[in-house]
Amino acid sequence: MKTRLTLSWILQTLVVLILIYPSWSKLIGTPQEVALFTTLGMEPTGRYIIGFFEALAIVLLLIPSSVTWGAILTLCIMSGAFIAHATKIGFGGEITVMSIFLGVTFLSALGILILRSQELPFIRDAFARSTTPQKTDGDKSK
Amino acid sequence: MPITRTATLDLHLLAKFTNLLLPAALILSLLAGINISFYFHFLTVALLMLNTLNFAYLFIQRRHTLLRNFGILGQARYLMESIGPELRQYFFANDTEERPFNRSERSEVYRKSHGIDATGAFGSLSEYDRDEIKLRHSLFPTPHNELMPYELKVGAARGLESTYTLHRPIMISAMSYGALSAYAVEALSTGAKEAGILMNTGEGGFPKYHLRGGSDLIFQLGTAKFGVRHPDGSLDDEAFKKLCARPEIKMIEIKLSQGAKPGKGGILPKEKISAEISELRGVDRDHDVVSPPGHVECKDLTSTIAFISHVQSISGLPTGIKLCLGSPREFEDLVKEMIKQDTFPDFITVDGAEGGTGAAPTAFLDGVGMPLFVALRTVDQILIRENVRLRTVLFASGKLINPAKQLLALCLGADACYTARGFMLALGCIQALQCNRNTCPVGITTHDPSLMRGFIVEEKAKRVKNYVDGMLSDIDHLIAAAGVHRASELTLDHLYIPDQHELAPLMPASSSPTAQL
Repeated sequence: MKTRLTLSWILQTLVVLILIYPSWSKLIGTPQEVALFTTLGMEPTGRYIIGFFEALAIVLLLIPSSVTWGAILTLCIMSGAFIAHATKIGFGGEITVMSIFLGVTFLSALGILILRSQELPFIRDAFARSTTPQKTDGDKSK
Repeated sequence: MPITRTATLDLHLLAKFTNLLLPAALILSLLAGINISFYFHFLTVALLMLNTLNFAYLFIQRRHTLLRNFGILGQARYLMESIGPELRQYFFANDTEERPFNRSERSEVYRKSHGIDATGAFGSLSEYDRDEIKLRHSLFPTPHNELMPYELKVGAARGLESTYTLHRPIMISAMSYGALSAYAVEALSTGAKEAGILMNTGEGGFPKYHLRGGSDLIFQLGTAKFGVRHPDGSLDDEAFKKLCARPEIKMIEIKLSQGAKPGKGGILPKEKISAEISELRGVDRDHDVVSPPGHVECKDLTSTIAFISHVQSISGLPTGIKLCLGSPREFEDLVKEMIKQDTFPDFITVDGAEGGTGAAPTAFLDGVGMPLFVALRTVDQILIRENVRLRTVLFASGKLINPAKQLLALCLGADACYTARGFMLALGCIQALQCNRNTCPVGITTHDPSLMRGFIVEEKAKRVKNYVDGMLSDIDHLIAAAGVHRASELTLDHLYIPDQHELAPLMPASSSPTAQL
C-alpha cells in the first residue's frame, strides 16, 4: 500500500511539473499557444478555459483528498489534446516534444488512477477485490 | 373499463437504449467537433469518459450483476439506495417507527437536554392500548414536600468501610474513550460532576478523559482488562490497585457480558484506533480490537465467584458485576455459588439484550440475550427466592433513556438505572448509526479532528446536566403520582401490565390487569 502511494506521488509530481508550463503559457497567451488555438478556432476563450482546467488539475493533484479527481481531469484534458493533435495540428514537426509530453502525461494520469483504484469514485466498489475481513484478537502477546 | 396493461417504464429497454445512445452520441460529437467547432470536443471528452465507465461496468467488472446487465443506469440504484436512510429519517419515517429510538423518544431527550418545556400536545403518539406497560397512579398522590430524597448505599451489606452512596437513581453507563471521542467523554464527565451522578468508564484502559471533568467514576473491568492486564490476559493486581487508589474511582464493575453482544467481547473497529488509544489500551492499530468473550479467570461458577472475591479484596471498593441474562438457571446456580462462598457482588447490573454499542456483529445485536424487563424481573425474583436480595443492589441498563422507562425498571426491582445512549442523545447524537465507522457527523463517536471540531465541551456538559435534572424532576413527579415516598417503595403493584405482554406470565396473579377490579 505504501509503495503504491509513493509511486502515485512520483507520478503526480511528474504530471504537475509537465502541466505548469502549458497552463501558464495558455493563461498569459504566448505567441505559440495563440497560434495553436487560432488553428483550433478557439482563440481566446478556449485557450483560457483549457489553461484554467490545467491549473485546476495541478491544484487537485497536490491535495491528497482530491488526487483521483485531478487525475481524471488530466485524463480529460489530455484526451481533448489528443483529439486536437489527431484532427487539426498533427504530431510531428515543431510540436514533437509537445506530443511526447502529451503521451507521458496521459499515461501518468492513468497510472495514478490505477495505483489509487481503491479511492476511485463510482468504480471503487465494482472493481474492489473481494476480501475476507480478518478478525484478530488485537492482542500483541498472542 | 378493465385495465389490461399499466404504463410502466421498461428499465431494461431504457438501459439498452442508453448503452447504444452513448457511443452514438460520442461519434456525433466527434464529427461535430471536427466539422463545426472545436468546442464540441468538450462534450466529446465527457462522453468518452462516460463511455469508458459504461464499458467497464458492462464488460470488465464482475462483482455486480446489475451493473453488468444495465451499465451506467444501474448505478442510479446504488446512488438512490445510499441516500435512502437520510431520506427516510428526514421525510418519510413516522415519528414512532424508527429504531433504536424513534423521533418522539429522541426529541424528549433533546428537549430535556436543552432545558425546555417537555410537554406534549393533543394526546399520546404511542400505540396506547396494545402492549404498553403503564404506571398505576394513586388516587392520593404524595405531596411533594413529603417525598424522601433518594439514597442508595452500595457495599454496606458487606460491611465495607468505603461504601458509596448514590444520591441520584441515574448513572451514565459504560462508554469507553475509544468508543467515544475525547471531547464527548470530557463533556459527560463534566456534566456528571455538575449533576452529581456517577459515570462508568467502560473498558478502555486508564480513564484519562473520564478523569477530566472530576465526576465520580465506576471503573469497568472488561474481559480484556485494558490498562490493568498481564500479557496473558489475567489481572495485573499491582496496576489495578494503583488505579483503584485514585480518589475519583468509587466503584468497580466486572463486565461478565454486555447486552449488545453477550457471550462475545467488546469490539473497537480499527478505523477508530488512534495512536493515543492504542497506547492506553496496549494494542496495535492494524486490527479491530476484539476483547475475549470471557475473563480468563472465570472458567466456571466457583472460579467466577472467587475472581469477584479477589477483585473485591484488592480494590477495597464496592465491586459489582455486569451481565446480560442468558439462562436464568445458570444465574440461579451463580447465586447459589455466591451463598456457598459467602461472596456477593456489591451490585449486579442487568443489561438488556437490546443494549447499545459502538460496534457489534448484527447477529449478536439482534439475536442474543434476554430483554431487559424480563431479565430484571427474573434476576430480582431469583435473588428474593434465595433470600439474598438485601446482600446486593440491582442496576438496570438497556434503552432506559426516559423517566417512564426508568420508573418501570425501578418497579421491576432495579435500585438505580444506567443509560448510555440517553446521554449520547443529550450530547447531540442524531442517530446517524455510524458509531462503528469513525465518521460520526456530530463528533461523539469519532476521533477525526475535523468532525470533533464542532463539538463544544462546555456547551454539551450543560446539556448533560439539564438532561439529568429533567429526568430527576419527572421521576419525582412519577413517584409522587404513584402515592409513595421514595423510589425503593415502588413495586410491581404499581404497574399495569397487559395480559399479552411478555412480562405477564412472570407476574403474580394479583397484578394482572383485571385482578384489582
